[in-house]
Amino acid sequence: MKQLLYAELLKIVKQSKTYYALAAIAVIELLIFITAYYQGSTILDLLLNTLRQNFYFEGSLLNGNLIMYIVLNSLWFNVPLILMIVTSGLLTDEHKDGTLQTVMLQAVKKWKFILAKYIMAALFTLLVIAFMALTTFALAYAIFGTGDLVVYIGTLNFFEAKEAFNRICWAFASGSIAMVFYSTVSITLAIFIKEASKTWIASALFLIITNLLLKADFLPAALNSFFFPKLIDTWQQLFNYKVDWPQVGINNCMLLLYSVAFAGLGMFIFQKKDIG
Amino acid sequence: MLTATHLSKSYTSGKALDDVSIQMLPGQISGLLGRNGAGKTTLFRILCGLIKPDSGELSIASHRNKPVGGIIERPGLYPYLNAYDNIKLFAGIQGAPADRESINQSLIKVGLPTDRKDPVRNFSLGMKQRLGIAIALLNNPEYLVLDEPFSGLDPIGVTALINLIADLAVKGNIAILLSSHLMGELTKCCNYLYVMDKGRLVNQGTTAQLINHHIHNFNITAANIGSSVVLKNYQPVMGINGASIVCNADEISALLKQLLAEGIQVTSCTPELSLEQLVNAPLQS
Repeated sequence: MKQLLYAELLKIVKQSKTYYALAAIAVIELLIFITAYYQGSTILDLLLNTLRQNFYFEGSLLNGNLIMYIVLNSLWFNVPLILMIVTSGLLTDEHKDGTLQTVMLQAVKKWKFILAKYIMAALFTLLVIAFMALTTFALAYAIFGTGDLVVYIGTLNFFEAKEAFNRICWAFASGSIAMVFYSTVSITLAIFIKEASKTWIASALFLIITNLLLKADFLPAALNSFFFPKLIDTWQQLFNYKVDWPQVGINNCMLLLYSVAFAGLGMFIFQKKDIG
Repeated sequence: MLTATHLSKSYTSGKALDDVSIQMLPGQISGLLGRNGAGKTTLFRILCGLIKPDSGELSIASHRNKPVGGIIERPGLYPYLNAYDNIKLFAGIQGAPADRESINQSLIKVGLPTDRKDPVRNFSLGMKQRLGIAIALLNNPEYLVLDEPFSGLDPIGVTALINLIADLAVKGNIAILLSSHLMGELTKCCNYLYVMDKGRLVNQGTTAQLINHHIHNFNITAANIGSSVVLKNYQPVMGINGASIVCNADEISALLKQLLAEGIQVTSCTPELSLEQLVNAPLQS
């Protein structure tokens, strides 16, 4: 298993696709920085002009914490889409290059091979989120400095600078679990579909449907609590004024269980399916 | 010995394999002839354990980790890795020796340079085939199956690959099964031939048996062949540098002697065996 994981790591490191993904995330961050730098103050002043007359905010509201929060919002669609494309490629590329057949012609167990894919997809996802968090943290604080955070989730919530930073860190941690879920799903889709472009379309569709279902209310109440589309925004709950920590923990555990279930389904199908 | 008996496999598009039985013996090179879509690749995939037959049995006498190695359709390689890293990766995942010396030995065995560092996407098809064989041979399988190994190779590449395959069978005592739709290549290197058509095995026998039984056409190359008298008894079709004749295999040596006696400077004599002949007139009948 160790060797299979090492092989997967080697493939990720040697493929240019990996660096394109990291560059794509860096470009998203950069665009947010540039927009915030040139237009952020004007927009914020317009939005918060009335509030400023009644409240005192420490430092500028256009600060590193706000920028990190904005970057964090790319976890809704941009980042999971990039991750799903790259991680599904771990398998679709093997189909395209005929290497899946070559691997299966060696003394390698099918379930171990596909398990290594799932593990590496999860590790790669965590690495990307860590990269995103660290680069945002370093650049946002270096350019915009620190300060209080104002966010709008149904209502305006204000957090002091230190509290804001803690919540952003927890949100990145929680968000990374949602991203691992998406990556797991993309590998499972690749097992079913095999072809890269079709898997990308299916991944994008899954992402859109999940986001749509997040807003829908289901009749059985349990569905509203435990159906996976209702869990993917758990990281957003970290910006409620009062955080329901047990609920956040349960949601993330549920999401991990869903990831394991999707991986289990994928492994079962892969084991049963003919190669070629 | 590898024995496949009464294998059948169907897809939604139809029956790909219908009651096929074959054997692979140590040190023997067997050939599988058939048109595109005859069922060769399906049979190979079953032999390698990639797909399961609907019915029939596959028995492999081996205690090795990897009894069967092979290339099916094309050598599947990681295009962004070099030859060394490809072998290292495939060796590593199955616990085969992946140290520098072992990898270099694998490369040398198939006639690939050990100092080439560029990705295999830059390799010629012949080099990719060789690298594919090196990977197929990792972990010392007793059986090797090569699906269309000559396709896309130039004549020099084909000759080099035939020599390599013969070497592996003789020196390594490996049982080898090759497939092709090209007669010439298989008759050059195979001890035994199977012929498939529409998913069924329609003919089989030693290469010598099949040639003797089915060859009725020869192509004789000679500069002054037009002046031969004896050749006129064999319905010759004259070409620029030679003639094509109708003649039984057991008569050809006598004819060649007569041509030489006439002063005809024969430079080559090639049997012409068509796949249609093998498909339409089984040896058993």
